[in-house]
Amino acid sequence: MHIPDGFLDIPICIITYLAVIVFWAFALRKMKKVLSERHIPLMATLTAMFFAAQMMNYPIIGGTTAHLLGGPILAIALGPYAGLISMTLILFIQALLFGDGGITTLGANVLNMGVIGVFIPYFIFLLSLKIMKGRRGIVVGAFLGGLVGDVLAAVFAGLELGLSTLSFPYSIQIAVTAMSIHHFFIGVGEGIVTVMIVSILLKQRPDLLKLPKVAPIRLDLPYISKDSKGC
Amino acid sequence: MEMDRDRRILMIGVITSIIFVTVGCLWLSSSAETLDEVAERFGAQDLPLWSAPLPDYEIPGLEGNALVDIVLGIGATLLILGLSFVMGKALKVKEEF
Repeated sequence: MHIPDGFLDIPICIITYLAVIVFWAFALRKMKKVLSERHIPLMATLTAMFFAAQMMNYPIIGGTTAHLLGGPILAIALGPYAGLISMTLILFIQALLFGDGGITTLGANVLNMGVIGVFIPYFIFLLSLKIMKGRRGIVVGAFLGGLVGDVLAAVFAGLELGLSTLSFPYSIQIAVTAMSIHHFFIGVGEGIVTVMIVSILLKQRPDLLKLPKVAPIRLDLPYISKDSKGC
Repeated sequence: MEMDRDRRILMIGVITSIIFVTVGCLWLSSSAETLDEVAERFGAQDLPLWSAPLPDYEIPGLEGNALVDIVLGIGATLLILGLSFVMGKALKVKEEF
């Protein structure tokens, strides 16, 4: 989903950069108020792990490959603002050192994978916990968060491509459809991995999931106890 | 005690990352992302403005050497780990009570 230089028109690049700058400003402000010493090892570990996970390309349909994004887990474990900063670091290093994603399109890539791919899973997880109590809410929220987050990130990438009529001369409908169908399958994988990691954290280190989230809305997991058996 | 548990999380993360990088370089290295496939189908071309020093996660001149790719991947992962730590320290709450 990393959009390279040349695929987006300049106005789209500027608009996406401006949108992301607003989110970065809120994220940095919130982190200075919430992020504690206890968050740092988890944040560093998850950021490094999902950078490494993005190097594994597994086959999906039509001869194409996919890789995990990691946004949903970053959001659920750290909160979406911290997840955005982690994802920004990953995307920046990928573009700068490895040419994976462009420099002019970094704003768009951060918007898709670092904002949409992180905030949407977080809000879906919150909603699921409100609707369903207990482990079911966690499992359903983590899975749907991963799935919908990935698909919506792809829809946004398709919109940006479709609106870039000079660089990508195809309609929004074609670009969005092509991106979202494949990313549905990627999202299923992301959802399953998100459920697995949340379950492992619940079982082994529920204290880490209890850390305050760097988020616009608080996430409470009141039913996590020492006796928790996870999912 | 808490520090030991945090160190354990870090160690698990580093080992898992090394496994991901190794599997990624040895068996799951072939990348044909949807976006690339869509772009190829529609005839769109990328116009790189920045010449990345390690294009496609490989060292120029040593392409196709899985061992070099693994070492490079692990090095990059450790770089991200270090940068995340520095960033976390810089952005955390200044005073904790």
